[in-house]
Amino acid sequence: MDKPLRRLFLFFVLLFVALILQLTYVQVWAASDLKTNPANTRAVEEEMKIERGVIVSADGVELAVNRQDGEYYLREYPQGGLTSPWMGYNSLRYGRAGVERVYNQELSGESGLLGITSYWDELLGKTHRGADLKLTVDMKVQRAAVEALGERKGAVVALDPRTGAILAMTSYPRYDPNRLEGIWKDINSDPGKPLLNRVTQGLYPPGSVFKTIVAAAALETETVTTATRFDDTGSVTAGGFVVNNYGGTAYGEHDFAKAFASSINTTFAKVGVSLGAETLAAYARDFGFGESPPWPLGGAVSLFPDSSDMDKAHLAQASYGQGEILATPLLMALATSAIANAGDIMKPYLVAQVLDYHGDILDETAPGVWLRPISAETAATMTDLMVEVVTNGTGTRAALSGVQVAGKTGTAEVADDEPHAWFAGFAPAGDPQVLVVVLVENAGTGGSVAAPIARRVIAAALGL
Amino acid sequence: MSVRNRELVFLVPALVLTTVGFALVYTQKATVLTWTSLTYGGLFIVLFLIAHAGVRVLASRADPYLLPVTALLSTLGLVVLYRLDEDLALKQAMWLVVGLAAFLLVLVLVRDLEWLSKYRYVIGGLGVLLLLLTAVFGREIYGARLWVRLGPVSFQPGEFGKILLVVFFAAYLVDMREVLTVSTRRVLGVPLPPLRYLAPLLGIWALSMALMIFMKDLGTSLLFFGALLALLYVATGRFFYVLVGLVLFIVGAVGLYFLFPHVQTRVDIWLDPWADPSGRGYQIVQSLFALAEGGLFGRGLGRGYLILPSGSTIIPNLETDFIFSAIGEELGLAGAVGIILLYLIFVYRGCRVAVRSRDDFTRLLAVGLTSIFALQAFLIMGGVIKLIPLTGITLPFVSYGGSSIVANFALLGLLLRASDKAD
Repeated sequence: MDKPLRRLFLFFVLLFVALILQLTYVQVWAASDLKTNPANTRAVEEEMKIERGVIVSADGVELAVNRQDGEYYLREYPQGGLTSPWMGYNSLRYGRAGVERVYNQELSGESGLLGITSYWDELLGKTHRGADLKLTVDMKVQRAAVEALGERKGAVVALDPRTGAILAMTSYPRYDPNRLEGIWKDINSDPGKPLLNRVTQGLYPPGSVFKTIVAAAALETETVTTATRFDDTGSVTAGGFVVNNYGGTAYGEHDFAKAFASSINTTFAKVGVSLGAETLAAYARDFGFGESPPWPLGGAVSLFPDSSDMDKAHLAQASYGQGEILATPLLMALATSAIANAGDIMKPYLVAQVLDYHGDILDETAPGVWLRPISAETAATMTDLMVEVVTNGTGTRAALSGVQVAGKTGTAEVADDEPHAWFAGFAPAGDPQVLVVVLVENAGTGGSVAAPIARRVIAAALGL
Repeated sequence: MSVRNRELVFLVPALVLTTVGFALVYTQKATVLTWTSLTYGGLFIVLFLIAHAGVRVLASRADPYLLPVTALLSTLGLVVLYRLDEDLALKQAMWLVVGLAAFLLVLVLVRDLEWLSKYRYVIGGLGVLLLLLTAVFGREIYGARLWVRLGPVSFQPGEFGKILLVVFFAAYLVDMREVLTVSTRRVLGVPLPPLRYLAPLLGIWALSMALMIFMKDLGTSLLFFGALLALLYVATGRFFYVLVGLVLFIVGAVGLYFLFPHVQTRVDIWLDPWADPSGRGYQIVQSLFALAEGGLFGRGLGRGYLILPSGSTIIPNLETDFIFSAIGEELGLAGAVGIILLYLIFVYRGCRVAVRSRDDFTRLLAVGLTSIFALQAFLIMGGVIKLIPLTGITLPFVSYGGSSIVANFALLGLLLRASDKAD
């Protein structure tokens, strides 16, 4: 070739080499980043071709099923918003959330559990199918929780304190997972945050439900006994901060059991100060503050301030659950379960069994102890104190006939708004089978708002 | 072995490969292989054997590799189209028949290249007329004015116009060669021709700018300018022209970038498609996703995610501009590089035709046609893999489109005629 022609040809070669290099970059080097790019719905699309596992409740109600459309399986949720806060969704367009996201490997049949069967199935040309999930949720309890909460911003969680199995979990506002296309924009911009599961992700000042932890710590360390006498004038000053009782009541002379039953802030401020910041922080940690919930579904970490940062005023406020403490309803349920379960906090779980399509069990969740914050004796004493709350104290509206309910109310004050209403309780007190935590945002006192909701959920769980 | 027998030897495996491709796609679609799935392959074996026989009679000494490469490219395109949409494949198959007819017609009509050289002004005028026709009667599709409706069929006169203009320019440069290489002055050691001889260069520049301004056709404009610049360089051997041409083009391009929003959009999308991956950047982003999915060896013919549940393709214009992305997903890097190498073989053979040519006109004609072909393949492949900003042109022989197929077969005819004359 003569010079110009040779150069021209080399130029073309250069262009084509550039093509090959860029192509190699895109198809090999950058491929994994491109595949996981949030704008890339191909992976979801691929899995939409797999018959996804069905999700059923403990009492056999179908919660997530498939509708076949051509070569795709579209997900449907027969219970709609009833289960959406934790079920999440599986959508070609919006990806996944909740149980659908966390258990995607099992549901889509990618998990090692199904490895051998799906390999043979593939060889035999059988379409591969995801594994089914059987949950711990009991739809009777779930429905009761949803109906009792009604259209009030808040959260309800019910669990079996003996095992940690979640019986019900709801959050309001919610969304209908069957209509994501129509509501996606709205639910993302809604200031009420319907996509948030308030049970696991909502962080609130716990108010007086935190007194169960303070009381348990005080009893366990023998700082007080149930009979220790206190005198209340309606207010007490700690580190320059004036502590008042809710509603400004002065209770006069009383013992510790009465202070717990009537939720006397001044007395708890005194108890907290004598416990000391370090001890209280240590117990908060023992009850699960500062730790991620021990289950795959995740959730926010509940916060108790560092003891070195706490002066007397903060310590006094922390003693009745105010100040810088933030807790999720789930953590309050777990913390309270130590009392219901003789001092042991069981790991929570939502999925009881993973089953293949023949109904054979591939995996089963075995209950396990998460934390052991207090002794069985302290737990028993605390139970008596909590029974007193429901029989004679602030929580009488949680009482049920024929069953002894133990509980603690909370009325967490927030700036410039109505307080958050809390209730944490369990029943039967002598043989706890269900534990319920209720939180209603900016709704009033725990005794008047949250306790009646808990009562209905406990009744449903015990079949009353 | 004689050149024609060599052509036959290469043609047969190319077509057998295609038949296997059809069978593969068919089994993906229907799970059972029937004889009808093989008829496509059979049909094209017959068609290309007819073309081969035509070459034997009409241009017996022509290059033996160009036709097999073309056969492989065009039937591979057909397999991919068949996989996307059977109706589209059927139409494309008919266009292939028309294209092969045009190819043989070119070989029959253009027995002598001198004839083309002689009527260069008529040809050049016709080329400009075709482009003007588009500018005046054209309908705007996808932001570019490329289509002219002629009764029931729409066609893109630009596809033919650019070939005619290359023919004209090759002939014109043979005349001008002497004058253009005369240098009277030297500036910094670079021989400079008299300034008035820059006229042809300015002419090309003006034409390509006009293409961009009036037809909003970035692709053809760039193609055109690049090919004619290559011609000018090979004709004169002066790198100086390339330099001036590039400066002119950059000035023009920058000017257009600021003047025309559609040019700006194209460049912005290229620079950062991720700014709006579901809107303006959608097409290129989806193309990259498709390529990434393909990986080294691809997902297999018929197994890529190309069609949405709604029935439309996930990448808009997949069958035309973005067919290379479909190939990248289903045949992987291996298949895509294979395609690139096929184009490179074509370009190499094209350059060889130019080298071996006995007269200037044949030489320049081969260079011009090869350049147009090479640049078109580069621009669209580079565009869909985000190497360069996207310009909406077809991938020669592979993309769906009648005008493109027929025009490229005509180009192949001219190139074979040139090579027949050369050796």
